[in-house]
Amino acid sequence: MISVIEVSHIYKKYKIGESPPYFTLRDAISGILQSPFRKKRETLEEDEFWALRNITFSIKQGEIVGVVGSNGAGKSTMLKTLCRITAPTRGKIILTGSVASLLDVGTGFQSELTGRENIFLNGAILGMDRNEVKCKFRDIVAFSELEKFLDTPFKYYSSGMFVRLGFAIAAYLNSEILIFDEVLAAGDDAFQKKAVNKMKELQSNGKTIIFVSHNMDLLQSLCKRVICLHKGVIEADGETRQIIQYYLEHNYQ
Amino acid sequence: MGKKTIREIIIGPKSSYHLIDLHELWQYRELLLVLAWRDIKIRYKQTLLGIAWVVFQPLINMVIFSFFFGKVAKIPSGNLPYPLFVLSGLIFWIFFSNAISNASNSLIINEDMIKKVYFPKMIAPLATILTALLDFAINLVLLAGSLLLFGRIPSMATFVILPICIIVTVITTSGIGLFLSAVNVKYRDVRYILPFFIQLLLFVTPIIYPANMLKKEHLYIIALNPMTGIVTAFRTVIERSGTIDYSLLIIGCISSLMIFFIGLVYFHKTERFFADIV
Repeated sequence: MISVIEVSHIYKKYKIGESPPYFTLRDAISGILQSPFRKKRETLEEDEFWALRNITFSIKQGEIVGVVGSNGAGKSTMLKTLCRITAPTRGKIILTGSVASLLDVGTGFQSELTGRENIFLNGAILGMDRNEVKCKFRDIVAFSELEKFLDTPFKYYSSGMFVRLGFAIAAYLNSEILIFDEVLAAGDDAFQKKAVNKMKELQSNGKTIIFVSHNMDLLQSLCKRVICLHKGVIEADGETRQIIQYYLEHNYQ
Repeated sequence: MGKKTIREIIIGPKSSYHLIDLHELWQYRELLLVLAWRDIKIRYKQTLLGIAWVVFQPLINMVIFSFFFGKVAKIPSGNLPYPLFVLSGLIFWIFFSNAISNASNSLIINEDMIKKVYFPKMIAPLATILTALLDFAINLVLLAGSLLLFGRIPSMATFVILPICIIVTVITTSGIGLFLSAVNVKYRDVRYILPFFIQLLLFVTPIIYPANMLKKEHLYIIALNPMTGIVTAFRTVIERSGTIDYSLLIIGCISSLMIFFIGLVYFHKTERFFADIV
């Protein structure tokens, strides 16, 4: 099997100074006027925060890989670099195939528009054309069980409904790689079960899935492999049961 | 299942060498349309006047300007009655100013999307220009109606000049829009300063007065704003008199391409950090 995600030595730095340097043009201009010879406020070492350090792994086609880690471990940052939302400070990622991601409940959904309109909007955000979305429209609606609410504006949807629709759109469109960040938590048990089955089905069709969760049962039932992040570093990477045990023992939670 | 060719995506700390990824833009063309359509839809759902607002803006401007500049100040308007003269300039001006002010806010408005999904960021400002173009089309109908009302038939050259004018305006506003949207992500006060500058720019562009009121050497400086050449050429063909001042149009075209290039380069250099600072 070929590896579809190849991550090598990724670093990500954020600046966490007390006040971000120059957020208004006015400040920038007065800053220059006050000290024209100082190019920029010198950044102190403490201002830097490495959200990711030397992250290296590869994922083969058809794998479902879980990611665990306590809050602030860098899970979301890692997913964001994989989705090309934010650029790594150093390192390289090679992705083979298109990526669909669901990093938050209801991303890109527009509250004024109806469910139907939002399906097309979201499909377009994921880079699909209208015909592709049309083909999958019934499946998406059926899976999310939102037939009755298709013409209701999105602002009246519950967070569970957001997740169901968001997941369905990501799952049914033709992306080779799917990335989910702790989104199923807003759905009920029945939906979670349904989503797990769907992901297994996608896997058998050759899709690759990365899945962040704090729900150990969900990880256990879904993935053979889990990556454990801690403070921006990969602490462990391997068979699900061992990693979960390791994670719970170290009690990062 | 997938008929698409699988592309390898390489992600690294440096910007890609391509200033513009046409393949990717084409792939996301649907998003461009959907975002423009969303803007229009939301605008009409939330505003009382809806579509009437589009024509309200040039109409009110035309009435006010015709009274003060045409009647009171007696600014010459060539062969055209002043209301037609000013309306023909205003529809381009409104296109220009709405496009750049909406584009400059486009990334901030789509903050949520930028932070949570990947898409070519350029789509956001470009979609607002598409929306402005649609409004322009409506205003063009308004102008056509007004011309008929006054019994004026534009010359056949309009069919050549008008598309050129539209294309140059789109290129110019895209360039300014790309630049300002990127600047606006970092410096949030730009959007408060911008209306003031647009206002100033109106007076240094021959919209409410004819270009030939100015000295040649001043005119060439003002022609650096592509809208000068555009509006002047457009008026020449609708008033059916005189010849088009191609020098102004050419200066405008060159300037427009330069503006576009600068906007594109700046956008390309900064877009990788939008998600971190927006």
